[in-house]
Amino acid sequence: MKILVMPTTSNQYNLADGIIIGIKGLSVNIPLTIEIEEITKINTEIFVSLNKNMFKDDLNYLEQILVKLNNTNIKGVMFYDLSIINISKKYNFKYDLIWHQEHMVTSSLSISIYNQMKIKAWVSNDITLREMQEIKKESKDELFACMFGYLPIFASKRPLVTNYLKTNNLKGNSTYIIHKENKNYQIIEDKNGTFVYTDFILDGLKETENLNYEYIILNSFSIPEHKFKEVVYQFVNKKYDYKLSNLFDNLGKGNLYQNTVYKVK
Amino acid sequence: MKCELLAPAGDLEKLKIALMYGADAVYIGGTIFSMRANAANFSLEEIKEATKFAHKIKKKVYVTVNIIPHNKETKLLINYLKELQNCNVDAIIVSDIGVLSLAKSNTNLEIHISTQLSTTNKESVQFLQSIGATRIVLARECSKDDIVDIKQNTTAEIECFIHGAMCASYSGRCVLSNYLTNRDANRGGCSQICRWDFDLNTYQSNKNFTFCSKDLSMIDYIKDMIDNNITSLKIEGRMRSIYYIASVVSVYRKVIDNYYNQNYKINQKDKQILNNVANRDSISQFYNKDYGKNCNYYNNRMEISNQDFLAVVKEIKEEYIILEQRNYFKLGDKVEFFGPTNTIQFVIEEMTDEDDNFLEVAKHPLQKIKIKTNLNLQPYNFMRKVIEN
Repeated sequence: MKILVMPTTSNQYNLADGIIIGIKGLSVNIPLTIEIEEITKINTEIFVSLNKNMFKDDLNYLEQILVKLNNTNIKGVMFYDLSIINISKKYNFKYDLIWHQEHMVTSSLSISIYNQMKIKAWVSNDITLREMQEIKKESKDELFACMFGYLPIFASKRPLVTNYLKTNNLKGNSTYIIHKENKNYQIIEDKNGTFVYTDFILDGLKETENLNYEYIILNSFSIPEHKFKEVVYQFVNKKYDYKLSNLFDNLGKGNLYQNTVYKVK
Repeated sequence: MKCELLAPAGDLEKLKIALMYGADAVYIGGTIFSMRANAANFSLEEIKEATKFAHKIKKKVYVTVNIIPHNKETKLLINYLKELQNCNVDAIIVSDIGVLSLAKSNTNLEIHISTQLSTTNKESVQFLQSIGATRIVLARECSKDDIVDIKQNTTAEIECFIHGAMCASYSGRCVLSNYLTNRDANRGGCSQICRWDFDLNTYQSNKNFTFCSKDLSMIDYIKDMIDNNITSLKIEGRMRSIYYIASVVSVYRKVIDNYYNQNYKINQKDKQILNNVANRDSISQFYNKDYGKNCNYYNNRMEISNQDFLAVVKEIKEEYIILEQRNYFKLGDKVEFFGPTNTIQFVIEEMTDEDDNFLEVAKHPLQKIKIKTNLNLQPYNFMRKVIEN
């Protein structure tokens, strides 16, 4: 099992076995996006997440970046938009592709279809631990899962905060919190749209012991640097009994033990 | 090939009305695997009846199998897909590549890709075609430029939404419902958190924050879309009323037919009908790359319940019709009846209840009302307030 960090700063590049970073203009919900030229300066296993929804005006740039990445030593590209598969077929890139439609990677069946195309999977956080384990039993390829951090739960193309501010003649910056029933959700807006995160930090340290995935991902988004370093240490050193509650007071288990429902009538 | 008008149908009655009022095809959900888990939906027997009814009048039925399944659901899929094939449906609409793959390997069903997959570019369309999809329902975030680029660079059938509610997020990328209410948005349980009010912490004001979007209306761009060879124009709303379905379908039917009859025009009354039947404002949204503040609601928004819909014609007798009441009306009211192709104005001069007791007002929902008339009406014509030009 390898530990991958989603860093917020370059200080966090070498905390674990590797990192997941974004490329400016092509990534969303990734704490650190950089220019492609900077990749060669990084000395660790690198995955690049190009997980934006791609439109006509993105395609040329996307293709250029995918080609340039092939000349680097990155290990893989994580994608949301299926255009990346089609472009990759034309070039036969040497790096791995990892399917990361974050709320849709929920069954062994679909993962197996992607595996047949030599594409690996980053499994969703919207399923239970038992379902994640079942997927592992039935999977023939490497699996990724995020087991620590705030989770993205909403992505819109609309500049919702700006629209709100303009409507109400208010001024602001770019980071906000929305409240509902004593819960706080971070809402971020950038030129790619508006994004919302869970009110809790997913704590999957203990569960990681029984997951047996090839890659465990720790997300530093909105986590103080010194605390994140401590979290990574516990995961890397397999201190599964460590209480992350020593560091945070808003931890949660998300869907690890809770199945969602969909038929209510 | 004439552009298809595709309407939603939450149950058999709505399906028949959608087809009667001019839809070329309808999309429906079964009782499982459909993104509107809490709509009435169709049993397999009803799907069979629906396709039989539609095919008899040379129209089509597509069935949504568009949830993002978990492992336990995938085990039931093969049988269900085979059953749909036995029901003779014209296509299934899927979001998940696993569902697509099972359908390809176990049935001959035609496969459409749901908007839930948020397809926004030609490369994605080409990929989806390469794995067996024949039609792609594009994301509602696509602009005209995106749509034209896709159409010009792929051979897939392209379906675009033209009317109805919008998700605030990219479809498939919102799980607010999962985390705030434990209802799975990608398995049909969305609890529409985007319509809730929130506080935005920076501002200690009484102005709530919401994600709430206005609705979509492409009434002004139908010519544009047909000119760009869009295969199918889709209306949203499997949970909408029969009156909504009849009103919206009939307006778009007329506009599309006018285009092909070299008589393209949109009159103010048609816009007014669309406006009145909705409970939110409608705009063209992303088509013109406009997703600024006018596309959203933030505060003091009211969803107005529509009261134009007065009654539905249930039976035609020799000298009178039997209506089923929906909203208050009274003697002396000037109303209009509308059907699939005609609208007739009428003044209510006399009405009785089912037992022939004279009534001055009709004020009880679902009450049966008899009105003497020799107007040429049919069951499932509707009576509404007069909508002025």
